[in-house]
Amino acid sequence: MTLETLLIPAMVLVPAIFAFVLLIPGKVFDFKKNIVAFSFVGTLFSFIISLFIAFNFNWGEPVMQMQGAIPWVPDFGLTFSWGIDSISLWLILLTTFLMPLIIIGSYSSFEGREREFFFWMLVLETAMIGTFVATDIIFFYICFEFTLVPLFFLIGVFGGENRLKAARIFFLYTFTGSMLTFAAILFVAWTYSTTHAGVWTFQITELYAAAQSMPLHHQGLVLAGLLAGFAVKVPLFPVHTWLPLAHTEAPTAGSVILAGVLLKLGTYGILRFALPMTPEAIIAFAPYVGSLAVAGVLYAALVCWVQTDVKKLIAYSSVSHLGFCVLGLFSFDSNNMGSIGAVMYMVNHGLSTGALFLCIGMIYERFHTREMAKMSGLGRAMPIWGFFMVFFTASSVGLPGLNGFVGEFLTLIGSFVSPYTLGWQFAAPAAAGMIFAAIYLFYMLGKVVWGPLKIPHVHGHTADWKPSDLNAREISILVPIAIVCVWLGFNPNPLLNSLEKPIAQLSAPTNSIIDAQKEATLKATTPAHVEADISLEPQAKAWESKVLIAN
Amino acid sequence: MTLDFDYAKFIPWFPAIGVIICFICCMKPALRKLAGPACVLSILASFIAACMAYSYVPGVPGSTAAGEGNFAISHLFNWINIGDPEKGGFVANFSYFFDPLTMIMLFVVTGIGTLIATYAMGYMHGERGYARFFAGVALFIFSMTNLVMGDNLLVLYLGWEGVGICSYLLIGYYYDKPIAVEAAKKAFIVNRIGDLGFALGIFLTYMTFGSIEYKVIIPAAQELLAHGAEHAVALTPAVKAAVAQAHSVSPSYLAWIPFLLMLGAFGKSAQLPLFVWLPDAMAGPTPVSALVHAATMVTSGVYMIARLTPIFQLSEYALPVVAVIGGITCLFAGTIALTNNDLKGVFAYSTVSQLGYMFIGVAVISVGGVFHLTTHAFFKALLFLTAGSVMHALAGNLDIRTMSGMRKKMPVTCWLMFFGCLALAGFPFTAGYYSKDLLLGDAIVKGTIGNVPHANWYLVAGILGIITAFITAFYTFRLWFKVFMGPTSWEMGTDEGHEPVDDMEVITDAVAKEAEEADPHHTHHHGPHEMPMWPMNLPLIPLALGAAVLGMIAVGGLGLIAPKWIESMLFNSTQFAAFHPEHSAATDATHHTVEFISGSLAVLGIALAFVFHCWKREWVAVVCKPIKPAINILVGKYYVDELYELLIRRPLHTFGRVLFVFDDYVLAGLVNFASFIPRLAGWAARPTQNGVLQKYGVGMGLGLAITLLIVFYAWLAA
Repeated sequence: MTLETLLIPAMVLVPAIFAFVLLIPGKVFDFKKNIVAFSFVGTLFSFIISLFIAFNFNWGEPVMQMQGAIPWVPDFGLTFSWGIDSISLWLILLTTFLMPLIIIGSYSSFEGREREFFFWMLVLETAMIGTFVATDIIFFYICFEFTLVPLFFLIGVFGGENRLKAARIFFLYTFTGSMLTFAAILFVAWTYSTTHAGVWTFQITELYAAAQSMPLHHQGLVLAGLLAGFAVKVPLFPVHTWLPLAHTEAPTAGSVILAGVLLKLGTYGILRFALPMTPEAIIAFAPYVGSLAVAGVLYAALVCWVQTDVKKLIAYSSVSHLGFCVLGLFSFDSNNMGSIGAVMYMVNHGLSTGALFLCIGMIYERFHTREMAKMSGLGRAMPIWGFFMVFFTASSVGLPGLNGFVGEFLTLIGSFVSPYTLGWQFAAPAAAGMIFAAIYLFYMLGKVVWGPLKIPHVHGHTADWKPSDLNAREISILVPIAIVCVWLGFNPNPLLNSLEKPIAQLSAPTNSIIDAQKEATLKATTPAHVEADISLEPQAKAWESKVLIAN
Repeated sequence: MTLDFDYAKFIPWFPAIGVIICFICCMKPALRKLAGPACVLSILASFIAACMAYSYVPGVPGSTAAGEGNFAISHLFNWINIGDPEKGGFVANFSYFFDPLTMIMLFVVTGIGTLIATYAMGYMHGERGYARFFAGVALFIFSMTNLVMGDNLLVLYLGWEGVGICSYLLIGYYYDKPIAVEAAKKAFIVNRIGDLGFALGIFLTYMTFGSIEYKVIIPAAQELLAHGAEHAVALTPAVKAAVAQAHSVSPSYLAWIPFLLMLGAFGKSAQLPLFVWLPDAMAGPTPVSALVHAATMVTSGVYMIARLTPIFQLSEYALPVVAVIGGITCLFAGTIALTNNDLKGVFAYSTVSQLGYMFIGVAVISVGGVFHLTTHAFFKALLFLTAGSVMHALAGNLDIRTMSGMRKKMPVTCWLMFFGCLALAGFPFTAGYYSKDLLLGDAIVKGTIGNVPHANWYLVAGILGIITAFITAFYTFRLWFKVFMGPTSWEMGTDEGHEPVDDMEVITDAVAKEAEEADPHHTHHHGPHEMPMWPMNLPLIPLALGAAVLGMIAVGGLGLIAPKWIESMLFNSTQFAAFHPEHSAATDATHHTVEFISGSLAVLGIALAFVFHCWKREWVAVVCKPIKPAINILVGKYYVDELYELLIRRPLHTFGRVLFVFDDYVLAGLVNFASFIPRLAGWAARPTQNGVLQKYGVGMGLGLAITLLIVFYAWLAA
């Protein structure tokens, strides 16, 4: 095992090690500043390792890189094996980039039990990165499930008024879904073992082939199981109801992680497992999943518009936004623009929605309320905050030149030109979501940032109290995100190009089936003797007869 | 095909630097005063770069470019590239497209932009958001230059949305006024409705042509329209591939493209049914109304159709529909302007109306469309800025009913606006006269020669335009006579010149005081007064000159430039390359007739306005009395806003509420119900565990009996 292969375990484990050090009794960690600084160093360390990995990563190669494995239960084919391709790496970079910022952001968001809070934050980071690096499906599943535990405590202990209910629903809802996912995984592994003389393996690449050889109705079961867990996580309409509750009750850091990274576990799961494992079932399911995605885009957008709590509005907007993402994943156009766009969308949504949650957290820290009716025109009192709020809203609404647009555009154009699974019938209503996004986000801006200045009454302050604008710490959290937003907006090519090959690989099984079906229909409609020379003359004639020159 | 001049591709990026400087000025109160000059200089740099690039652009009169092709592309950097561009991959780069149409648009955007920004330095003086304003203006020019220079639909879309957000930010400049916030939001959302069409149009274009680059789609569309006839320039492989792909898809897809793109154009250029945002957008500062909502941004839709003319011909109905919508909007907005009493409101509706003319122009593939865009930019910017001066002098008062005889107080503004009004009214030999009559003449020609499909539609549009010419002259001079003629009287508005500076203000007291001293005209103790020459009235003089003589120069040359400059520019543009205007004695006669009719209608309108609003003002009441109901409808602006509120916004919002209730009770309720099932089962089973020994005994006995029974039956069956 070379040093290079150890980089990934190091990146995964560093936060966990820091987390357990935090638990060591001692005076040092009696001070909040020390705890935050220590956790910050831990996450920063992880970020630096991930950057190092990114620089040593061969971006042109679609295969899993920096692979390594530690045997776990050899008899049963279980190994802790890891490896990354560019899809994982971008999501890892998103995670490790956001975590240090979130840690600094949590400095002033609550009082008491800091050790516990940052312990769970660091453990959560380990679990999240673990999910992205796992190449053993059980390893993946363990990390995937384990993310629930820290967040359960973050919401349940540090959340708002209804925190216990929110934590319980969040846990049970997502856990129930992923039990079905687990069943589907076992089913695939069992199929493998029956066809391989009882040898068990949980290596993802091995299982791809096993699952692809399943008959359609088995694939359908597998896909249904996988989607049960992943769709809840995404969350796809109509299994999204846990999300607004969890978001409103979670502390700011929890919301940022939830929106920034955890939701992407669902779409990542679909991309990594559902797409290559069950190509035939995907094609059968695509219209239904696509319909749900489109319904979610529009439904959640309209629900956003009637919210009175800013945070809940942003929470519902995640449901709407992730609808685009799922739509892109199921488009299977010839250039895979939809899926590439979907991965970019995951990164973008993590940045812009995460930043919006941070901005709203800053408001909550000052006023202890998020009711839009109680505040107005805060841009006057807090111009710097107002600037960032408008900036990230613009990113979220898909303004070209910022990151959000590229993902949104690619997912939509992908599903529009999707030759077989989706089509304009899906893309056109989803694109109407762009209008609704403008409606609810600018409604929010109009209520909160613009308008006559109205400062919520805060207990312990006089009526003419004026909130302070963002301090250097808060600005330094938002500036890096803003820079990345602009950079990705004008220069998305490195990201897009690096994704092309791995995504082509993942969607190759489905694309080949689509191509075969297309050829078959062409054969069926074209008489045998003209097959050799597929002339497009008839269409051209038909076209010419319809178009007249206007001049 | 690349240009041998490299600086041209940085034209949009000078204002981008301006944005950064203004942004720094926002943060440092001491630097705040530099924002205005920085913004003006950055736009001026773009203008100079555009002028220097002019002679290198292929197709312009006196071009030094090599004869190959009729456009040049200058590549800056890659933006979104997916797949192999040779095999249907997606390519959208920051490459800039230079042809004569681009140059005209660039001159308008950067040239008029410089003048307006200069004026704004004076107008916005002492405002608390001074630097923020200029950051917005520079960002706007950045987006707008990208819009007109981009070599593919996606950069056009980037500019399109970019000017949209700038418009949002600038309309909402006075962001503590709820009316401004509402107007800004409305502008953005209504524009987004149009942008939906635009986005879908881009998708469909990519689907049919496999490309969204002008250099592919425009020749491909021309090729499709030419039905394989001889063409002057050999097709590139990419164009051939695009043509082949277009043949392979359903013809109805091709026909849909123009209609989708058209929706975007109607949204941005405020045509029916999406015009409702533009009048409200006047809540922004007046220089913004002049720059964004009159001279440049709102003409993007016209530019889009002019640029993509061959694409718009893919459906035989598309251009006639554009013409008719343009004609109807023209009349519709013109009539609203007749009764409007808001100084800026009249000009706002007149902008909508004039944009209608431009749409007629581009729909009949007339030079007049873009020509009118150019002249309109001059005279409408002039009108808005002079209106801004009046508003400034009257401390924000905009009600023209309260103004009279202002010429005595503001003579320079009065006569500057007079030139603008003449041009807007289409008074013979002013700029507006030439451009408007050119496009109306072309519309009538096209509507009467008969070999054109749907000629009647063009004819209808042309006639609507001619009727509106009369209305335009009347409402323009109604305003001018009311405000500047007659006995002198006025009312002051409520603006203090400076907004009150409170402790939240980042401007220090010293800066504010300095502003007060440097700018005494802000104090209103002595009633209205003329604006200072620099920086406010001086930039208006080129605009007034343009409004007066630009038409003559562009058409006749006047010895300054080659005659028929505008025609040779536009007919050398890429999209027009395949068309040659018909010239015959008959068409010339039609043109002269139209010119004569609309010219005399303009004079008649001005005369009527003079009678009713200057000479015998008391007659207005007499004439209006019998037609009161009609006037009420006009004053109510045909109740379009109310209609949209009632039919679209409110039902949608209610639906949102219903969905939220559904979400909260039904969807979440189902989940709660599901989680209730295990508890229910537990509850049902609970009585069995009640600790009573006899019941356990009974249960045990029953169980045993049932088991035995089953075993017994199983044994029997065996």
